[in-house]
Amino acid sequence: MADAIEMLETIGRSASLRHASAEELTHILERELAPEALVAAVTQEDSSLLHAMLGSRLNQVPQVVQTPGREEEEPEPEDEEDPLTSVIPSRPK
Amino acid sequence: MNTPISPALDVTRRGSLACVGLGMTLGSHLTPLARSHIEQADVVFAALSDGVVELWLERMHPDVRSLQPYYAEGKSRMKTYRQWVELMMAEVRAGKRVCGVFYGHPGVFAWSPHKAIAMARAEGFEAHMEPGISAEDCLYADLGIDPGRYGCQHFEASQLLFYERRIDPAGYLVLWQAGLVGDRSLARFKTGSAYRQLLVELLEQDYPLGHPVIIYRAATLPIDRPRIRHMALRDLAQATLTPEETIVLPPACILKPNLAMHERLEALDRQDKTDALA
Ligand SMILES: C[S@@+](CC[C@H](N)C(=O)[O-])C[C@H]1O[C@@H](n2cnc3c(N)ncnc32)[C@H](O)[C@@H]1O
Repeated sequence: MADAIEMLETIGRSASLRHASAEELTHILERELAPEALVAAVTQEDSSLLHAMLGSRLNQVPQVVQTPGREEEEPEPEDEEDPLTSVIPSRPK
Repeated sequence: MNTPISPALDVTRRGSLACVGLGMTLGSHLTPLARSHIEQADVVFAALSDGVVELWLERMHPDVRSLQPYYAEGKSRMKTYRQWVELMMAEVRAGKRVCGVFYGHPGVFAWSPHKAIAMARAEGFEAHMEPGISAEDCLYADLGIDPGRYGCQHFEASQLLFYERRIDPAGYLVLWQAGLVGDRSLARFKTGSAYRQLLVELLEQDYPLGHPVIIYRAATLPIDRPRIRHMALRDLAQATLTPEETIVLPPACILKPNLAMHERLEALDRQDKTDALA
């Protein structure tokens, strides 16, 4: 039996599964004996159920933030600078 | 031309760096070449937006090191990014084949991959960026927008507040990282509605307050649907906005013909015709 990550990969790469309705996908996953949390996430259209089961870090906050640099305006290694004043963009290049 | 190759350059160093994109959606977007970079690396560093996607990546390589722990509320993100670059470079310098895996496209609104590649090359190592499907690509598909139709400007939302920029309301406007608009500290993951109100006031110079705004989130898991919310510009400040959402403003005015250029083109066409007959 495939585990949740393998099943997600299979869904992600299949045209029919990726765009199946929640009901169709629920049906298929139940038939394949998918982990309960995956089925629940699909049925309830709530992927946080899956995150909870896999115990994965919720990366959503920081990792989406990779601000393109305003670093050129900042003096190099900044160490214990005051974060509120170190990168103020008041010195345009 | 016959200058002898300096011994330092002569040495082939084995360390190398590839920064690749994983795309947005688990299982759907990873290119065969990006996957091969991951599989053939000695060490893999991961900067992904979804923890489940990170688990998926861990299946592809036995040594996947998450860059996530280097973030901290209250710590400047520039510091975090510098650490990322240093972590990757330390392994490159140690002679390893390093692969940095970033969600979406590694070079789109992302500082450290560009920086790490430039640094690696400057130090004489081989370095390569492999594109991925970005949030922007998904946005065009899910919202049915063609950036070529009216033109399309992209800004980090904060840049609009920090600098004097010229918005062209005849084209699309796409705002990235609006969830933390106005954060000058680079140390917060989120700013409140008062900050977004400033953005609304700025946009009000070019758009009516009733102008439609789209708040968009691409699916990161293949069981998700894209999230698309519509609202009026005036309601943007009060809306809840997550850091991974992107804002789109459709055009607010029609394209205005450039009559002077039309006249000049007309003259050129006439000239072309005369030349052809001569
Ligand atoms: C630092 S940028 C990184 C973009 C990434 N390199 C890419 O190729 O899409 C982070 C911003 O990308 C956008 N973004 C990230 N995840 C997204 C998603 N799932 N849907 C829509 N936009 C997203 C948001 O504007 C977010 O603030």
